[in-house]
Amino acid sequence: MFNLIVPRQTLDEMIAHARAAAPHECCGLLAGKDGLVTRHYPIKNIVASQGAGVAELFDTAKIATLDKLSPEERADIAFWMDARDMFAAQKDMRVQGTAMLASYHSHPVSPARPSPTDVKALAFYPDIAHFILSLENGAHPVVNAFLIADGAVTPISYTIA
Amino acid sequence: MVKIRIPTPLRPLTGGKSEVEAMASDIQSMIESLNGQFPGLKDRVCDDKGEIRRFVNIYLNEEDIRFLKGKDTPLKDGDEISIVPAIAGGAHPSQGDA
Repeated sequence: MFNLIVPRQTLDEMIAHARAAAPHECCGLLAGKDGLVTRHYPIKNIVASQGAGVAELFDTAKIATLDKLSPEERADIAFWMDARDMFAAQKDMRVQGTAMLASYHSHPVSPARPSPTDVKALAFYPDIAHFILSLENGAHPVVNAFLIADGAVTPISYTIA
Repeated sequence: MVKIRIPTPLRPLTGGKSEVEAMASDIQSMIESLNGQFPGLKDRVCDDKGEIRRFVNIYLNEEDIRFLKGKDTPLKDGDEISIVPAIAGGAHPSQGDA
């Protein structure tokens, strides 16, 4: 199921999205069929407007840090997908006959591996892959994929087509 | 009868079904009906006080029920409801890799 194939163009679009959003984190969804990603949906990062709602998904350390930041700065270290964008993306997936295969988000200045916040919050979606794009080394973005479930992180490989 | 679109993370509870149906007059009774059909679903959608979790978004046709009457939003035959749990996360602010 997680033998994902990601077209080079989609990967390039995800990296372009991450660069355009920096220093904020970007986020989005990947959809397709039989493991082949056929569509990329950039989703708005609305963490700045989430307020107390983040308490249900984020770890206490992250919440304490977010509380010290301005709304705009919060998006530098966190993302929260806009539900209306997700709703529209899922509607399009139904029309296209595809399924949600993965989420992605960027880490503008840290490595491409899940943070404690990712491990806690992304665990609500254990059945899709989670791509993390690191812009830590600006000229050479790193894109890794993981499964995240019940506090466990499993790196997964993917094929660039 | 209303149609409910089930998101990927809740499908293990519905036997893999992406769409299910319920007899319900409002969102609250829809959640109870779903929980009767698929035990455990309410715990994923609602907190221990029975309130819809903040990161779980519910759309009635094209509208977020938070902008209608929340869980008291009335339903009519043929309505389509979508449950959309937000996806969230983020990097560690200072350690770089935690």
